[in-house]
Amino acid sequence: MATTSNPFLQADGKKPTCMEMLQSILDGDATSDQKDYFKQHMDHCMPCYKEYNLDMAIKELLKAKCCGGSCPEDLVSQIKSKINSSAT
Amino acid sequence: MEFEDAPRQHYSEKEKQEVFDGEFMPHIHSMYNFGYRLTLDRDDAKDLVQDTYLKAFRFIESFQKGTNAKAWLFRILKNSFINDYRKKSKEPSKVDYQEIETYYNSEEVDRQITPDLRVESLKDMIGDEISNALNSLDVDFRTVIILCDLEGFKYEEMAKILDIPIGTVRSRLHRARNLLKEKLKSYAQSMGYNKA
Repeated sequence: MATTSNPFLQADGKKPTCMEMLQSILDGDATSDQKDYFKQHMDHCMPCYKEYNLDMAIKELLKAKCCGGSCPEDLVSQIKSKINSSAT
Repeated sequence: MEFEDAPRQHYSEKEKQEVFDGEFMPHIHSMYNFGYRLTLDRDDAKDLVQDTYLKAFRFIESFQKGTNAKAWLFRILKNSFINDYRKKSKEPSKVDYQEIETYYNSEEVDRQITPDLRVESLKDMIGDEISNALNSLDVDFRTVIILCDLEGFKYEEMAKILDIPIGTVRSRLHRARNLLKEKLKSYAQSMGYNKA
């Protein structure tokens, strides 16, 4: 595997911990270079591999189960009618 | 009510309607879900969303057309929740942020928090377990999970919506994820998984 410089390195040269790298990925803050680096990192870091898969599964489950669908049908018309009555 | 330091806009009545219908209304389902996840009550969520949209219309000239309407609306809803709803209903939640910062910065953060929660056990959570686990979190922790994982907001957007520094967004998310995992671990154990 080619050795590439760590794109997670901070400006002060501080090396991030596994947890910090994983959090950037989970929080949607990682760049594509950082994501690629982390994928390679997981090949030789079993705790990161396990934690990443668990965290991503939770994230998917949240999206699938907690997004709630549609708002009540009458809500839009109620808002519109209040706005129209206040405008007149 | 300003979100950015944008100059006050001047819209005609027609333009106001266009901004409202074209930029605000498309987010109503996400807004309702956010309201419901904050209040945990469908009628309260409806009132909160209605109130938010009326405020958004009233302050529409603070909003610059074509900018981040969703974040702006989420911020108004969050503020309405804190100022109007939360005050009426109960004591604001108290979170020991000092404790969180200490926790986040400690050497122990790299240990695995929930070594015995497995992906396989999550696959059997096809009912309300995840929703109940999310709802059981303190509202400040619940909020960052909703904003990040359900709505896909970035750190900077969350910082503006919540009026907190980006570092606090990060540490709160970190703590929220661990608390959520603890809840899910309890569900997994109650379903017969992960027995030692």
